[in-house]
Order: sequence, then C-alpha cells, then structure tokens
Amino acid sequence: MNPLYKWIGDFVHPPKEARLDLGRRAVLAAGLAGVGAKLLFGIDPQASKRSFNPALIRPPGALPEEEFLARCIRCGECMKVCPTNAIHPASLEGGVEGIWTPILNMSVGYCDYECNLCSQVCPTHAIRQIDVPEKKKIKIGLAYIDKNRCLPWAYSKTCIVCEEHCPTPKKAIWFEEAEALNIQGEKLTIKQPRVDPDLCIGCGICETKCPVKGQAAVRVTSVGETRNPENQILLSPDSFAEG
Amino acid sequence: MAKKKKTSWIVWLRRLTQTGFFLLFCYLFLQTVYHPINKAGRGVTFFFNLDPLVALNCWLASHAFVGAMLLSLVTLAVTFICGRWFCGWVCPFGTLHNFFTSLRGGRAKQKIETGAYTQWQKAKYYLLVGFLVAALVGVNVVGWLDPFSFFFRSLTTSIYPAINKGLVALFTWIYNANPGVGPVRLTAVTEPIYGFLRKYFLTAEQPYYWGSMLVGVLFITAVVLNFFRARFWCRYVCPLGALLGVVGKNPLVRLKKNEEKCDSCRLCLVNCQGGATPENPLEWKPSECFYCWNCQSDCPAQAISFTCELRLEKKHDEPVVQVDR
Repeated sequence: MNPLYKWIGDFVHPPKEARLDLGRRAVLAAGLAGVGAKLLFGIDPQASKRSFNPALIRPPGALPEEEFLARCIRCGECMKVCPTNAIHPASLEGGVEGIWTPILNMSVGYCDYECNLCSQVCPTHAIRQIDVPEKKKIKIGLAYIDKNRCLPWAYSKTCIVCEEHCPTPKKAIWFEEAEALNIQGEKLTIKQPRVDPDLCIGCGICETKCPVKGQAAVRVTSVGETRNPENQILLSPDSFAEG
Repeated sequence: MAKKKKTSWIVWLRRLTQTGFFLLFCYLFLQTVYHPINKAGRGVTFFFNLDPLVALNCWLASHAFVGAMLLSLVTLAVTFICGRWFCGWVCPFGTLHNFFTSLRGGRAKQKIETGAYTQWQKAKYYLLVGFLVAALVGVNVVGWLDPFSFFFRSLTTSIYPAINKGLVALFTWIYNANPGVGPVRLTAVTEPIYGFLRKYFLTAEQPYYWGSMLVGVLFITAVVLNFFRARFWCRYVCPLGALLGVVGKNPLVRLKKNEEKCDSCRLCLVNCQGGATPENPLEWKPSECFYCWNCQSDCPAQAISFTCELRLEKKHDEPVVQVDR
C-alpha cells in the first residue's frame, strides 16, 4: 500500500500504538459533564432573560450576552489594553459561566469616549470591531443619581463635577435649578443634577470622578444597554404603546 | 553509566526558539496598550490566532469564525507531521513550565520515577472532550484553561501589576534613601535603569484589577506544580496540548531507537518532559512527547534519534516474546 495512504488510514483506524486508549465510558462521562455544564449554566436566573445583573456592564461593542459568552475566551486582552483600567475580570456578575469575562467597574476607571481599543484587540470578536463614531453611540449602561449621597441633592452644596466630565456632545447630565434650604435654614438656589436617559451612554466617567467616595453619588448600571433590547427602562412612547 | 554527554545542538536550537517565542509573547503583551492615537499594538492577538483550540471552540459554540484564526490551521498542519512540536518549541506557557521544571533539583532516579507516564495524563483529554461537547451545545468556557488565555489573563490582572508595583516601590525607595559613599551614589546607576523601565516596561499608571488574587494564585500554583511533576500543566491539564495530542497521535516525525546501541541506562528518561517513555519505542507516546529532543541529547550511546518516515509495515504487531501455553 502507498505509505501516504496508510498514514492517512492510520488516522481513521489507528494501529494499537497510535491509539489514545481513553476508554469509552470515561470519554462519555466527560462529554456528559460538558452537557451538564450547559444545563446548570442554563438555570442561572440571568439565562431567563428576565433578570439582569445591574453590575454586568460589558465593554462597548460586546455582542448580546448569549453570543458574547459563546465567543469570549476570558483572555484579558481587553483588560490589558483598556487605558483607564475600567475593564475587570468578572467574578459571579455574569453567573458561573461568566467568570473572568470582562466587565466595567466605574469605581476604578471609566469608558473613554474617544477609545475603542478593546474592540480592536478582542481575538474572537466577542467585542465586535467598531469604529469610534459608532462606539460613541453605543450605550453600555445608564447613570443614575443617588439623591441621598449627591452633594446638591442631599446637602444643598454646589457640585457640578459629573456634568463637567460628561463627554457626550449634548451633556447627558443637566441641572434643575431648585430652591433648597441649607442647614442654617436659609433659602438657596441650587443646581441639582439629572440624567437624560436618551443621551447617557453609560461611560461612567461621572461615577469615576464623583467626589463622593466609597459609593459614588452617581452610578452606572447595565440597564439601557444597546446590545440587549430586554434590559431597558420603558421610556420610549413605543414601549408604552406595545405594553 | 556513561558520562553525561554534551547537550546536542538541536536542544540549543529549541531553547533559542522557545526563548524567541516567549519574548515575542511578552513583547506583544507589553504592546497591548494605548498607542497614539487610539491604536492598540499591531498583531497583539498573534498567539490567539495560532491557537486551534480557541478557533474550534468558538466556532462550535457560536457558529462564527474569525478570519485571522485561519492561522491556527498552520499549527494543526505542523502537528499532523511533527506531533506536539508546538508545545515543546513554540508555546510560551509551555516554555515557562519548561523553565521552572528545569529549576527543580533531585536525583536522576527520583526524576525517572516522578517523570514516568501515568494514567492521570489522560485527564487533559477528558477536559478537552468536556470543553468541546459543552461548546457543541453552546457553552464556551475553554478560556478558563486555554493556555494562552490563562497566561495572558494572569499576566494582565495579577503578575504584571504586581511586578509593576514592586519595581516602582523598589526604585522609589532607592531614590529616597540614595545610599552611597561620598559623591558616589547608587542612584547614578539605578535612575537610568528606572528611566529605561519607565519607557519600555512600566505602565503609566499602576493598574488594579478586582479578583486578581484568585487569578494570580492559580497562576502561581500552576508554576509551582512543575517542582512536583515535570511540566505539570502540559502533562495533565492543558486542553490545547490534548487537542494537539489527538491531532498528532500518529506523526511522521517519530522517535527511533537503535536497540543494538542501547545499553538500557535509562538516562533518556531523566529529562523527558512529557512522560513519553522514550526508552521503549514500542511504547513511545507521540501524544505525550513535546519533541524536546532531551532524550536524544542525553543518550550516551546515541541510540535515540527522531526520524521522518512513513512506516511501511508495522514491525511489532506480533508479540515480541512467544509464550507457549
């Protein structure tokens, strides 16, 4: 027989010494473990697509969660390249299946408005390749004001840090001028920050720069993210009409 | 026992190749940063593109294929012919384990005992099967143990930040203390070094990652295990190694031993990295062999060689010893 054919044939029906001898039962068990993993991951509440972890903020351009998890290899390229140290390996934010996948933590860093490096380096395109103009339109989450911690809201102190840093062309943080009392009982006109959910892209620079430490007075959660039409707040008239 | 032979040139070539790829990996790691304006370093995903396990798993799980990952076909093609050559010569994580394995002490006899093949080395194949079946039903978690993902993730989130912080602290301490005799000061030496590191190695700002402790401890564990078994990760854990072992189970490049020259000194077993039983070509395991050439290099009788051949006949199908019943 032609030796080349024989070599190829040996792959199909390997001779004894070329066999790996893994044992049918053990291989079957390993395969079942794989299926079992699918089943167990599948009963995580987040897999229901009704429950969303507010801390599960994915980098801009990340695919819808199911597809994202199917592609992400937890390599950490995005975490390394992120110039603001915003991307971190997840613990259980995305369920056990999501361990070490990238999530943004805005207490450490924010998503830079002019940057798309994570989408440039993702080897599996779990973060799809987007250019900067497209990136600027992608919402990764939505900021909300914690009125109990915010200086103007809670203490009648003037503070405009979040509005100053907000990078969108028309600021997603706007001020409502309101009459408020200070501790001496004097009436003051104070600028109270509000978030415009249509303009906010969830970049989180407001949270990073907020002078209230420990837990910022303005924080980002994943609600409103572009990649997930389910994880929304029902603000658009269409949504109400449908509901 | 014969006197130890000089290390053969092919082992030096392997070490050179390994060092080259390892440095390339480190270079690409350091290049994975912001470059003006808004550019990541070029080709930083090179090693991930070489990785057929990642390509296969992502394709199975998501039915999508990234074009650059066609490069992994080269890895597969080479493996068909040369077995797990990739593990022994290219893989930077393998090189790391190779390095730490070479640091361990112990007597030759002990190395032979701990280095022998065991059934536990099948564990990596079961892991591979588990990952692949999971991918088939849509779960892609191979990145937990894929060697490049494991290595890169560990460097990113724990090892590199720790080294970074340590170096900055060290040089800052020297700068502040500024020890020396009269006008001769240590900072005259350390400051230029620090400047060099600042420019080419250190980060602009100290990075911090949540959960880096677990990643770092797992990485250090993987490294330390080399002191108990040669290339522990590559032998027992690595699913990429398992995939290459399956693909390269019947390679063209094979170990060959001249039985007439062999005086059964078993020196070939001392530095065998994969437990591939080189002393007995009939039981030599191409799926466990990293093609490191240590056995060939160590053999005082020059009985071992690696040859490229299409085997015409199976010479050993018959039992070697006939037993009357």
